[in-house]
Amino acid sequence: MTFSPLEQQGIPVADQFRSWRELNVSPVDIEGGDPYTRCRIVLMNGIEVESIMFSHQFARHTDNPEVKRALALSRRAEQMQQKADNWLLPGSDGPIETTIVYEQVAVDLTAWLARMEPDPYLKQAYDFGLLEDFDHLYRYANLLDLMKGKKGESITGTVTEIMPGRPNPEEFRHPHDDLRRHYDKHTVDPRSRLHVMTLVAAEQQTMNYYMNAGNIPVDPIARGLYLEIAMIEEQHVTHYESLLDPLETWFEQWLWHEYLEVWLYHSFMQQETDPRVKAIWELHLNMEIEQLKVAADMLARYEGKDAAQLLPTELPPAMTFEPNKEYVREILATQVGYRADGLDIVDADGRVTADTERYQSIVNGDGNYSLDVIDLHADQFGSDYRLQPEGEHPIDHQPATQSAATASRS
Amino acid sequence: MTLIPTHDTGARTMPLSMTVCEPARAVTPEALEEQVLPGSGLNVPFIAGALSAFLAHERAGATLYRVAATHTENPELVDKYEEFGRETEEHIAIYEQLIADLGGDPQYVSPAARMAEQFGTKLLEGPVSLAGSVDLVTLETAFLEAVVLAEHRCHDNWQLLARMAESLPDEARRHVEAAVAQVEPQEDEHIRWAAETWVTLAMTNAEHPAAEGLMGLVERTAQKVKDTLS
Repeated sequence: MTFSPLEQQGIPVADQFRSWRELNVSPVDIEGGDPYTRCRIVLMNGIEVESIMFSHQFARHTDNPEVKRALALSRRAEQMQQKADNWLLPGSDGPIETTIVYEQVAVDLTAWLARMEPDPYLKQAYDFGLLEDFDHLYRYANLLDLMKGKKGESITGTVTEIMPGRPNPEEFRHPHDDLRRHYDKHTVDPRSRLHVMTLVAAEQQTMNYYMNAGNIPVDPIARGLYLEIAMIEEQHVTHYESLLDPLETWFEQWLWHEYLEVWLYHSFMQQETDPRVKAIWELHLNMEIEQLKVAADMLARYEGKDAAQLLPTELPPAMTFEPNKEYVREILATQVGYRADGLDIVDADGRVTADTERYQSIVNGDGNYSLDVIDLHADQFGSDYRLQPEGEHPIDHQPATQSAATASRS
Repeated sequence: MTLIPTHDTGARTMPLSMTVCEPARAVTPEALEEQVLPGSGLNVPFIAGALSAFLAHERAGATLYRVAATHTENPELVDKYEEFGRETEEHIAIYEQLIADLGGDPQYVSPAARMAEQFGTKLLEGPVSLAGSVDLVTLETAFLEAVVLAEHRCHDNWQLLARMAESLPDEARRHVEAAVAQVEPQEDEHIRWAAETWVTLAMTNAEHPAAEGLMGLVERTAQKVKDTLS
């Protein structure tokens, strides 16, 4: 069934405000149930946060009162949507459980988008990031077990495997090796634009979360692991945001932000297994439809452009959280040795640029918490924690522990 | 007539340096040399890129006129902006046909066209983004100045094209000369009107004390412009 957002009737933006008690929704469980419900919640939180921060940046770059008012009105509604979305996640005595969900999102979101991506350069960029987020899930799952005696699969279920990816110490790159080329706004497939925007928002939210929540644990290895991975998330935001075409104007970007939200709420409304959460997705879809129309009106009024000429005639196929185990294994088996060389990802058999080699020699110079956590788990439990329902790890490449890394360096 | 080239309209580009696109959308210098003015011995990628940039400038001009017409308080300016906007859309269609006649693709957005688009965006962004901290006269003047600058560039593009025609093979030259002949009177009128109206607006403001009130000034300015045009 086709869905053309500009032809739909939603809730007028001025009528989108809600009471505190309505926004303070009852959370879902952090364990059990459908793990992809939690993934959808985490992703939509990141999408709303990006939309809000974009709106703030736009407001700081315009002195036009009508534009500022329209931005402020939609942004307040977006803030309420963000609260309702993020408050669906339960509280806890630390960020580690939520972190597991964040990394499961990173794995199954990135893998699905890579599978669907029509542009080979963009697909390569997603595949590259995928193996790094896959490794983060593994290291945080070991930390979860150490901190709380809890297995990662209690949160992720068995839909996502947990095992080493591109080893964390090898993910550190010189900043120049994290920049990428960008799509061209005229020729880009609308799906590609939505894919890139989704990844920017998701990775940015993860970066922000670790920037702020990474110092909550008391344990120094836990704090160190968050610190290391937070720095990788900075790399990932640099990597993904480079893919956006800077030629897109403020008003065009506003329109695409709203369209992205329509696409995702519409997607998730169809898939959601929790009826209470599904109702929130449906409500927010109806809000986003009218926010999109406001952005379209502003685009027409201040840039003389018809949104219908920019947007696809109907929504692209739904973004779907689903198992990607076979795909991740294939990328792991064939691309773990890929490295960044300036603007490109190359089959380098693990060899890095001179700039990155120098950078790694500094940041990894006195060891890695991301290896310590695996060593510590092995010390306490006899081995690292993995979840491999599909069988053995597809390669035997990386030193997963500090001692193995030390041995390989000597 | 395409105002906004997109994936759906069949847009293509030449990826350079930071830009990538799907292989099916990529235009190469070699492909341009095969398709546009074959055997001419000219720098075809440059000419095709310039034509694409001229077209991009017209597209930006059409949106500028739409926005200017929406925001001016002066009915005479509204009429002119709308009239010239319609003519600019005709010029877009003429460029598209000319590019096709020369063997090119009007959906090709060259690197030079990306630059022309950026100029156009920033030209419009001035009056739009600073509207809250200027008076109405300044805002009206800013939109008019954007038109003056855009029309100068537009006029220069057509003149450059006429000059380029001298180097083209016979058939191509005839196509270009026909397009220039069709457009030139309107372009001359656009630039004349924009420049004269800008002077009139400025002199009207200069000759009336600000103490008489801003709205009165705007109304008188509108009347003066109306008188000048009638």
